[in-house]
Amino acid sequence: MVTREDVENIALLSKLFVPEEELDALTKDMQEIIDFADTINNAVESGDDFDNINNLSNVLREDEVVESLPSEEILKNAPEQAEQHFLVRNRE
Amino acid sequence: MGTIAKIHEMLETKQISCEELTSLYLKEIDNANKELNAYVTITPEQALETAKIVDKKIASGKEIGILEGVPMTLKDNLSTKGIETTCCSKILKGYTPIYDATVWDNLKSQNAVLLGKTNMDEFAMGSSCETSCFGGATNPHNTNHCSGGSSGGVASAVGGNIAAYGLGSDTGGSIRQPASFCGIVGLKPTYGAVSRYGLIAYASSLDQIGPITKTVEDASIVYDAISQYDSKDSTSQGNKGVKTFDTLNNDIKGMKIGIPKEYYEGVRDDVKEAIFATLKSFEDLGAEIVHIELPAVKYALPVYYIIACAEASSNLGRYDGIRYGYKTAHYNGTHDMICRTRSEGFGEEVKRRILLGTYVLSAGYYDAYYKKAQKLRGTIITAFNKAFESCDVILAPTVPMTAFEMGHAVSDPIETYLTDICTVPVNIAGLPGVSVPCGFNAKGMPIGMQFIGKKFGEAEILNVAYKYQQNAGQNFKDTKWGVKL
Amino acid sequence: MKYELVAGFETHIELATKTKIFCSCTTEFGGEPNTHCCPVCIGLPGTLPKLNRQVVNFAVKAGLATHCEIAEVAKMDRKNYCYPDLPKAYQISQYDMPLCLNGYVELSNGRKIRLERIHIEEDAGKLIHSHGDTYVDYNRGGVPLIEIVSKPDIRSVDEAKEYVEKLQQVMRYIGISDCKMQEGSMRCDVNISVREAGSEELGTRTEIKNMNSITNIAKAMEYEFERQCDVLESGEKVVQETLRYDDATNSTYPMRSKEDAHDYRYFRDPDLVTINVSREQVEEIKKSLPELPADKCKRYIDELEIPEKDAQLLTKYRNISEYFDEAIKGVKSPKTVSNFIIGQIFSRLETESDKEEFNIKTTPKQLNDLVKLLDEGKIRNNLAKSTLEKMLDEGKNATDYISESDMGGLDENALADLCKQAVEANPKAVEDYKSGKEKAIKAMVGFVMKNSRGRADAALAEQKIKDLIK
Repeated sequence: MVTREDVENIALLSKLFVPEEELDALTKDMQEIIDFADTINNAVESGDDFDNINNLSNVLREDEVVESLPSEEILKNAPEQAEQHFLVRNRE
Repeated sequence: MGTIAKIHEMLETKQISCEELTSLYLKEIDNANKELNAYVTITPEQALETAKIVDKKIASGKEIGILEGVPMTLKDNLSTKGIETTCCSKILKGYTPIYDATVWDNLKSQNAVLLGKTNMDEFAMGSSCETSCFGGATNPHNTNHCSGGSSGGVASAVGGNIAAYGLGSDTGGSIRQPASFCGIVGLKPTYGAVSRYGLIAYASSLDQIGPITKTVEDASIVYDAISQYDSKDSTSQGNKGVKTFDTLNNDIKGMKIGIPKEYYEGVRDDVKEAIFATLKSFEDLGAEIVHIELPAVKYALPVYYIIACAEASSNLGRYDGIRYGYKTAHYNGTHDMICRTRSEGFGEEVKRRILLGTYVLSAGYYDAYYKKAQKLRGTIITAFNKAFESCDVILAPTVPMTAFEMGHAVSDPIETYLTDICTVPVNIAGLPGVSVPCGFNAKGMPIGMQFIGKKFGEAEILNVAYKYQQNAGQNFKDTKWGVKL
Repeated sequence: MKYELVAGFETHIELATKTKIFCSCTTEFGGEPNTHCCPVCIGLPGTLPKLNRQVVNFAVKAGLATHCEIAEVAKMDRKNYCYPDLPKAYQISQYDMPLCLNGYVELSNGRKIRLERIHIEEDAGKLIHSHGDTYVDYNRGGVPLIEIVSKPDIRSVDEAKEYVEKLQQVMRYIGISDCKMQEGSMRCDVNISVREAGSEELGTRTEIKNMNSITNIAKAMEYEFERQCDVLESGEKVVQETLRYDDATNSTYPMRSKEDAHDYRYFRDPDLVTINVSREQVEEIKKSLPELPADKCKRYIDELEIPEKDAQLLTKYRNISEYFDEAIKGVKSPKTVSNFIIGQIFSRLETESDKEEFNIKTTPKQLNDLVKLLDEGKIRNNLAKSTLEKMLDEGKNATDYISESDMGGLDENALADLCKQAVEANPKAVEDYKSGKEKAIKAMVGFVMKNSRGRADAALAEQKIKDLIK
């Protein structure tokens, strides 16, 4: 059972606001999708565990420095910036 | 027909200059895009600049590569330095990447002519292209119908002859499904064959970049060009030295083509009939049709949605209004800013999948959903391995239906999810699959079928698909749109 | 009622690799804001992590140095939480398959503080809060960390201090981190609870986050211990919560947590592949480790007959012990070398960091040469001491201050001559000695030593003089 509280909790974890008036509809939606997901509950597993898709291991990089990008590039897409920092301005 | 092979020949023999060709495509984009809505960003300056370089090279008598000077497009979830890349989401509007995706870096160095970035479902989440914040791309065979999704823009552009080819991404069918809907070819490579570096992630363990082209031959050309090992992607393996183009025309005598009955359950009759009608042509070519079972695929769809949404909920956490993209105008503190930005910036379907993904990973539900789905993923992989003991390739419908009318897909989420039923097993198992057109329904909408191969078995599926296409050319019908060569 | 303190540590240590854990940006401390960054470490859409080989090696080293088992198979997981200093909104870490398991750190009282695990993960960026605005610098984002998780085995503030010092010492020895708490390259979270002395059950714990000096750890623990005791005394219950220690007021405060409903939703990072650590690789890394301080200390005591207190001083920092190991090569009495270091050399090193750097003008070889002169009886202790002072001032060799003529014992005849002179020159002393004042002989021996410029063997001279007077 998906409850309103469940939806409120996962919305908080997901950093999403769900308006009070949409909560019931969304809970119903989620319930439907979860019911659909529940069809796997009784599925029989072959016992073959999934590791990573091509069973790769030890893909590693050498510890060698490559020059970083200039800070103007790094900050290029920042909605707000100041003094070479990304900025969250306090509006209140 | 404006295939890569044809364009290459025309450029080489100087029947047309690259600049003329590029201008022709740009003009047709101008004409057609209002209705097709395939492009979300057009890059005429960059395209013409590259075209001039190619023309100079040709004029100097140098040989040009097969993709050199060929006008193409990229799905808008592939990172392009200096060119806006939005994933067709409000949350990324205005984002101009500072680096190139490896596939684009690769094609750019071969002087591919990028015409622009194409439409898609927001963050590749959808089956009709209609979750795009720019509205959906339409189907060039009938613009009342959708292009399919999520790589709908690429399929619409290639089907509508306003790009010779394009690169899309396929997480649960997003290359093959729109290719099928638009009557063209779409290849989803083996997981790891093409570098994902620069592909804006939806579900990392399922995503693969691949070509959408007019013909199997073109798909082979593009696949061979982009399937290279990339040290930036830990899961990259490249094509392991196999050039699919070399074996494209190989005899398929004795090849065993498996027909898994589970794939045909719930598939619409016109689709089923069109596929069954092709079987004779394979037998004519000496291939053997074998009937196989793949019972595990019945869990593929819920398994897919659980895994894809779980990964997406994590991958999409980074859109917080701090480093790039959309930021809400009014807020009270950082937490409030992030929540508002995300709530305003993401569309409904994306939010739904983030919430579902968060749910299946959260304490108390992880074992029942995510862990169980991972185990079933192992089960499905084993089932495919077993199936491939009795056949060389698998033949299945790409989509259980043809392109739906615009506006139809968004109404019921579960019903929309069901359209992915034939495409998702390949992503879950990391296998290659290629969709090829195999006929039209009564309304004239294209029908597609897919060949599924073993891991890194691209050469085999492209070989059989090519042979089919050579023998059944009548199943291709060009649309009224775009550049006619 | 008598209460006992129970504490466990989660210690984050920044690894001294050249590059970050998942990209090739430098890990250098400081730098202009956002200049040690690339698309990967600011989490631009579409970027992918690639694990730094050295991070795995360093973590295995840390594990071996703390007696851990090294996992054959490990994996990387995503720890999901949203905060502006975390550019991907998840930290790549290790959840249920860490690299190292089940180790311990042994304290001087013989107690072993068990380690549950050591895992690798990425550091977050730095936030600066100013007038309510938040400034974000991602230079530190993606710097590799190991997190060392201990069991709740610590029973006192002193044990806690020693535990942290021991970790610092061993990590510096094996060269994987500078462990500078003031620069944040070592940070501790302390889990603390109290229980009735003698009880086996664990009380409700609180966690004090991000402690960045040993002094503060001690003060915070003392405060928190008192606080929890008071809570229990008054019949109330300790609330499980996360605390912040405020240095200025010397007290702990709950961290506000309205916004962080904590559920990290760990799952395997699909962008990274399995880590296999072969047993051969473990052996190789084991071989590359220097002798660890605890082993060194034991060896100094057992084999070199150095007093325990001195052995601890010598092994406290790797530079000192390495200097000592060099300086004792081939000498008869390592104790002599130890005395020179702990006495004369230490007196010149004022602070702990001076001792740690151990930056002195005299090389171990130079000290070794000096001690060998003593060993061979060529010079006497007094001369050695004064010579070392000059060496430490100027960095020259012992032989630059001691001439050939100062060296070597006197031959038989020369000594006999000098003794004769001594007797002749001190008739009063001879009288005194003869009348039973044994000490009077010293004056004559002193005469011999002075006139031989310290080269004479005092005991031999005394015997000779006695023979002459008889």
